Amino acid sequence: MTGETSFTASMIVIGLLQALLILLLAPLFSGFSRVLRAKMHSRKGPSIYQNYRDLVKLMKRQEVVAEQAGWVFHLTPYITMACMLLAALLIPIFSVQSPFNQVGDLILVIYLFALARFFFSLSGLETGSTFGGIGARREQLLSVLIEPVMLLVLFVIALLSGSTNLGIISRQIATGQTPFYTSVWLGMLAFAFAAFVEMGKLPFDVGEAEQELQEGPLAEFSGRSLAVLKWGLYMKQMVLVALFLAVFLPFGSMTTASLPGIVLAIVAFFLKVTLFYFIVGILENAMARVRFVKASAVTWAALGAAILSFVFYLANV
Amino acid sequence: MDAIQLLLLSVTVLGVGALASLLLNSSSRTSRYVAGIGGMLGSLAALAAAIFALISKPATLELLVPLPFGHFFLQMDGLSALMTGMIAVLGFAASLYSIRYLEQFDQRNLGVLGFFTNIFIAMMLLVVTVANAFYFLVFWEMMTVASYFLVIFESEKKETIRAGYLYMLVAHAGGALIMVAFFLFFAGTGSFDFAVIRQAQLSPALRNIIFLLAFIGFGAKAGMAPLHIWMPGAYSAAPAHASALMASVMKKTAIYGILRICVDLLGASMLWWGALVLFFGAISAILGVLFALAERDLKRLLAYSSVENVGIILFGIGAGMVGLATLQPIVALLGFLAALYHALNHSFFKGLLFLGAGAVDYRLGSRDLNQMGGLARRMPWTGLAFLIGALAVAAIPPFNGFVSEWFTYQALFTASSDPNFVVRVFAPLCAVLLALAGALAAMLYIKAYGSAFSGPAHSQSASQAQEAPGGMVTSMFILVVGCLALGLGAPLVTPILAGVAASFPGATSMPVASSIWVFPAKPDQAILSMPMVAILLLGLLAVPFVVIALYGGFKAGRRIVPDPWTCGYGYKSRMSVSASSFDQPLKLTFRSLYLLRPAIQKPLDATAAWAKRFRELIRRSEPLIESWITRPTARAVEYIGEHIQALQMGDIRVYCLYIILTLAVLLIVIFK
Repeated sequence: MTGETSFTASMIVIGLLQALLILLLAPLFSGFSRVLRAKMHSRKGPSIYQNYRDLVKLMKRQEVVAEQAGWVFHLTPYITMACMLLAALLIPIFSVQSPFNQVGDLILVIYLFALARFFFSLSGLETGSTFGGIGARREQLLSVLIEPVMLLVLFVIALLSGSTNLGIISRQIATGQTPFYTSVWLGMLAFAFAAFVEMGKLPFDVGEAEQELQEGPLAEFSGRSLAVLKWGLYMKQMVLVALFLAVFLPFGSMTTASLPGIVLAIVAFFLKVTLFYFIVGILENAMARVRFVKASAVTWAALGAAILSFVFYLANV
Repeated sequence: MDAIQLLLLSVTVLGVGALASLLLNSSSRTSRYVAGIGGMLGSLAALAAAIFALISKPATLELLVPLPFGHFFLQMDGLSALMTGMIAVLGFAASLYSIRYLEQFDQRNLGVLGFFTNIFIAMMLLVVTVANAFYFLVFWEMMTVASYFLVIFESEKKETIRAGYLYMLVAHAGGALIMVAFFLFFAGTGSFDFAVIRQAQLSPALRNIIFLLAFIGFGAKAGMAPLHIWMPGAYSAAPAHASALMASVMKKTAIYGILRICVDLLGASMLWWGALVLFFGAISAILGVLFALAERDLKRLLAYSSVENVGIILFGIGAGMVGLATLQPIVALLGFLAALYHALNHSFFKGLLFLGAGAVDYRLGSRDLNQMGGLARRMPWTGLAFLIGALAVAAIPPFNGFVSEWFTYQALFTASSDPNFVVRVFAPLCAVLLALAGALAAMLYIKAYGSAFSGPAHSQSASQAQEAPGGMVTSMFILVVGCLALGLGAPLVTPILAGVAASFPGATSMPVASSIWVFPAKPDQAILSMPMVAILLLGLLAVPFVVIALYGGFKAGRRIVPDPWTCGYGYKSRMSVSASSFDQPLKLTFRSLYLLRPAIQKPLDATAAWAKRFRELIRRSEPLIESWITRPTARAVEYIGEHIQALQMGDIRVYCLYIILTLAVLLIVIFK
């Protein structure tokens, strides 16, 4: 294995650094969107570090579990976090090369989300709780509506680069080998929408009552399990943003590994993620809520944009 | 001993087991053991045959059979060996399973059931190894008939008879099409031998007709939508070990048929063939999983899910055929590789799931998901096995279903850069439908596992269920090991399957795996390492544990409370989401597609009604024939006989006179 698929020590270090950064920063960005929401509501709001305090506190609390919950329920938080960590190793975040590209490609990343979601939804059914069950089925419906959109967009971008290797896709966009065709712009739009829904944002979720809808399965978790699961979900949001940035806006990432390069890349990544969360926060709070059964009516727009992107790809523009 | 001899040994053992089981019919217990052990031993021999054939050269053997329809060739090439291995493993697991599972039916004719089960396995083995169309048809029909008797085992139930009838109808309609296809081959080449047919130069029109006949005929047996309507009934009516065999391997004999005839013998040279296969793959994948989601009966749900999986296999075959037609060897290789891999995977996980459903049925006496619940705590091993099967079929990494779907994506991806515009449009759309089917399958199996094994018990029997007997659990875990091995061992399995895929005419061999990696011929396009995925996932599981330990979280302990939180009300098990409410939002979203189901069912019911009317007509016309033809003929014969008696005098001289007169008449006629 040579060239694009080499597996060097520096890439391993970069990969581990990426995973660590996502792990540590995910609660911060979630805190940022909480602060942003409070400001838009003209409230004072919590501190930006509140999520860290919550997590630490939850971890020290006793866990209360319904008798019916089996090992699937107990394992779910850990699996969720492990999936997100693995995704963080695979996505090119600091450089335009997938650090662990020997392990898998974008199809693996999408199916890692599916693995996390499988256990997350199942955990909602494990306890027999009403909230958990309804949350599970909503989570599943959204995935049915969103997963094909994400795959189609990524497929089109991958076709433009001739590879499903995330690193190669990222590099070709960054170096302009894949120019910003209309299809890329449309794909970006559709993927941003899909990521927005996947992150558990409006129009289907309420910011303040998170266990009500998509995060229904959270209702039965407590103590350290809740802490790990919440952390995993924060990470999921950030991994989605990172995937979006890696595919569509890989600017500022390193092309060759170097110490100043990595510092620059981290700064660039931080700024890009902040901007993304900022836009998402504005949209989320400016939008009306939609009834869940109308979800397909809204997500068709994303599918439409994705299909348009595909059509433009076929027409070569 | 070579592969063919082992295969013959296997068929002999199965035959002996079948006959012994039939002879011992009076003692159900004995015949249950005899049939089960016969099936296991026969399957072991077949497995040895498959392994021999895969590691050594392909073997052929001609048996001398005094029939004029060509040669009785048995052949073990890569494809046949793969199918033989698949049938062998599933045959072993199902036979082992049947010994305890059939205990509940000890009042019935288990000897007969054992007879048909072993004959069924033997016939499947012969179908995939015989290299002559005539004998293929004979074994194919015997396989169908044997499986029909497995379906109607519980024949006192009305729906069982109805399911059996529908199965027979569709299977024979399909069988008739296959028969016509083979006769057309015979008309074109004058031979039934596969080797001769493969070399023949047939006219394009004839090839097209044969392709259509064979594809639809085998598609009906494989359960491709919209010809799948017999499956839910037949699979749910048959005993669990039989439905496992039917769903996992009998279906694959039809896939084998498509590959053997449409690809191997006809050489898939037309682009529209591949396009048609992709089209039916798409319909099957989406409709199958949507219909499955609407089911509450666990076995019917699994049957519909098999329709989806046939769709995924057809995606692979279709991509491969497109690759052959457009002279893209990589697409052809990847497509067939994906199809073979998914066929292999599907037989493991679907067999496992059917055995799991049977274990639940065995303990609960019900297949209704709304009557289950909480079984993972009472049947922990069955629950674990079912969960692994569910994860595998939902294509969740690091299990085997993911690897084959990954290859399917890669085949479609490679096909997407085809110079032909039509292919470039449809290959990515198929990939999107595959993603949609994958998301729906995940939802389906969350529903299936969640309502059967999670949550509160929804019935008395569910709350008192016990773990299934050891033999049944063991056979499930044989298949669990298979699912894990096919997933984690992808770098070892893929080259073998790629070798089979490369043996089709027009395909070429290319490296697709090295040490711990698999890749779609070009490593730059994508690369996947299943062992590393598994190791990393397991390793990363440790991270949250370490974090919690750092904060001393494990000291806080855990308190178990009897009920989940219900806003302060008292908890009732009715409050949990049931199997029928889980898919409710989906039913709303895809309402229009669900309306298709009655639309498909209607013409079939109409066909069945016509067939029934036809049968009635024949039954009614029978007396007519008797009074108009049979009886007058008989009377005439009698009458003539009586009057001819007058000629018989018993006198030798009169007889001499007759002879002389006859000679005289003849001489006059001839010489005039």
